[in-house]
Amino acid sequence: MGCYCSTSKKTEAQGYEEPTVLASVTPCEYHDPSLNVTVSEVEALHELYKKLSNSIIEDGLIHREEFQLALFRNKNKKNLFADRIFDLFDLKRNGVIEFGEFVRSLGVFHPNAALEDKITFAFRLYDLRQTGFIEREELKEMVLALLHESDLELSDDMIETIVDKTFSDADINGDGRIDQDEWKAFVSKHPSLIKNMTLPYLKDITLAFPSFVTGTDIEESEM
Amino acid sequence: MKKVRRKIGKYEVGRTIGEGTFAKVKFARNSETGESVAIKVMAKTTILQHRMVEQIKREISIMKIVRHPNIVRLHEVLASQTKIYIILEFVMGGELYDKIVQLGKLSENESRHYFQQLIDAVDHCHRKGVYHRDLKPENLLLDAYGNLKVSDFGLSALTKQGADLLHTTCGTPNYVAPEVLSNRGYDGAAADVWSCGVILYVLMAGYLPFEEADLPTLYRRINAAEFVCPFWFSADTKSFIQKILDPNPKTRVKIEEIRKDPWFKKNYFPVKLGEDEQVNLDDVRAVFDDIEDQYVSERSEITEGGPLIMNAFEMIALSQGLNLSPLFDRHQDYVKRQTRFVSRKPAKVIISSIEAVAESMGLKVHSRNYKVRLEGVSANRVGQFAVVLEVFEVAPSLFMVDVRKATGDTFDYHKFYKNFCGKLGNIIWRPAGTMPNSNLRKQMTL
Repeated sequence: MGCYCSTSKKTEAQGYEEPTVLASVTPCEYHDPSLNVTVSEVEALHELYKKLSNSIIEDGLIHREEFQLALFRNKNKKNLFADRIFDLFDLKRNGVIEFGEFVRSLGVFHPNAALEDKITFAFRLYDLRQTGFIEREELKEMVLALLHESDLELSDDMIETIVDKTFSDADINGDGRIDQDEWKAFVSKHPSLIKNMTLPYLKDITLAFPSFVTGTDIEESEM
Repeated sequence: MKKVRRKIGKYEVGRTIGEGTFAKVKFARNSETGESVAIKVMAKTTILQHRMVEQIKREISIMKIVRHPNIVRLHEVLASQTKIYIILEFVMGGELYDKIVQLGKLSENESRHYFQQLIDAVDHCHRKGVYHRDLKPENLLLDAYGNLKVSDFGLSALTKQGADLLHTTCGTPNYVAPEVLSNRGYDGAAADVWSCGVILYVLMAGYLPFEEADLPTLYRRINAAEFVCPFWFSADTKSFIQKILDPNPKTRVKIEEIRKDPWFKKNYFPVKLGEDEQVNLDDVRAVFDDIEDQYVSERSEITEGGPLIMNAFEMIALSQGLNLSPLFDRHQDYVKRQTRFVSRKPAKVIISSIEAVAESMGLKVHSRNYKVRLEGVSANRVGQFAVVLEVFEVAPSLFMVDVRKATGDTFDYHKFYKNFCGKLGNIIWRPAGTMPNSNLRKQMTL
């Protein structure tokens, strides 16, 4: 039957999964799904998910515009990187983020998630055309996107210099693209590359929504 | 980045390699000869507080007197206004104690080799009226070639004229002679011989001959020389150690007798002593008589480094699209647009321009390592605001300056940023053609 939530008046949206099942795939200090802290984390994420998924279209699913609204307070603000994250969160590739996808994808950003998973996620993020490599043109496109976002303009020569310098450092075998092993070595040399891959909030998320946590009524027999 | 190189006189100071109650020991290098040294640093105030002036003066004088290949050498003593620096030989190989802990026990030949060097060193001290009185494996160092070096004469004392018996009990119980423990007067030479015997036992056995949980039992066993040799000790070794660990100091074997013993003489190569040179104690007297004109200079040389280098992926990581924090923090201040600019001026010029403009705007400026923090009162005078700027090198001669609001109102921040960048105009790079101003275009061409 799942957990009864006193604050919820609607049936669960399409794609709802048992918190205990999702908790077991969410990295945290305690891997026992029966522990409250784990279930509470997933419950709190569900509360967050409901806010996001109903902010524009009340269908219980996160659409791209809702994701942009949450990040930028502007549902029409386009951003190459936010689009990439949305695409990676959308595991079923059906154009929306379901709750299960949301929890599983955010798991990579948990402070306790394996470093390997963070490195892999970042690699897939920057592999814009999903070729299995970060191509030189993809890196240039991303640099241009950052400059545009910052209202900066550099000459093409300057951009080529920046990309060349980075590629000469990262592309160990000199084949003109970065593979996953080269990426792993590069991140080891520059750990700040994956600083965005950790969200401390995920450890404290039950504090962010205290009213929901106290409202949770989990039957003892279901633990 | 900036690098700080500390110098004490001619010595470039590196990392801390040891720390004790009264002194810190630092690695250093003689910038004239390239020789490695260890500098024992003591604060004058600490020495005075604990009334250690005479003891330390004595220790230093002794180390200058006893010059021997198997004794850690003291090169010189220096003083500044506040500190005393003892410049010692740097011994690379660590403590003999660590080797025993690591290996469990040493072979008879290896143990004999170290024992021979130990006896040479101790004999040399005794001939000069110096007794160590705290001999234990922790005070025995090994150099890069595996040679023994005796260190730490902290408890040594020069024999007073005619007074060959001393009444000070000191040292670590497990290695201390029975007559020392009983607090009768004792012969320093005989006490050191006993300690050497305990050390030899430890080297070959891997454990102490006298070890008890309670002190009374330990003292009783030491006084009776109640110990057992392990089965792997040869008969000659047993016999040799029993002569040394004789509880009666009068009948205990002496160093000259040790030297004649067949066990000791096996594979023994007498150490070559240098010419007994005249020892100059002028530097010791200068330090302790507080002669100010001989103070050593202490200075920190700052080697200028550049700003942090930012690669393309680190630039990309600045994107707001990669920051998922807004999903969770609904009350987070939202900065509508990223604020950063690029410049082709030298990094130092960028920093000094930022500082000058900020000061002209009445802001407080804190700069360090190509990072600047600006603080001021908001335009409407309601609250404080703070801004952090950081310079990154993204390509040779191309810098990006990241500007972030640290505290304060977002609206105030954007007004500030626009005003600030307007004043910084001459260092901010924009593509040619963006500005019609001919002066600006001329600057671009440079």
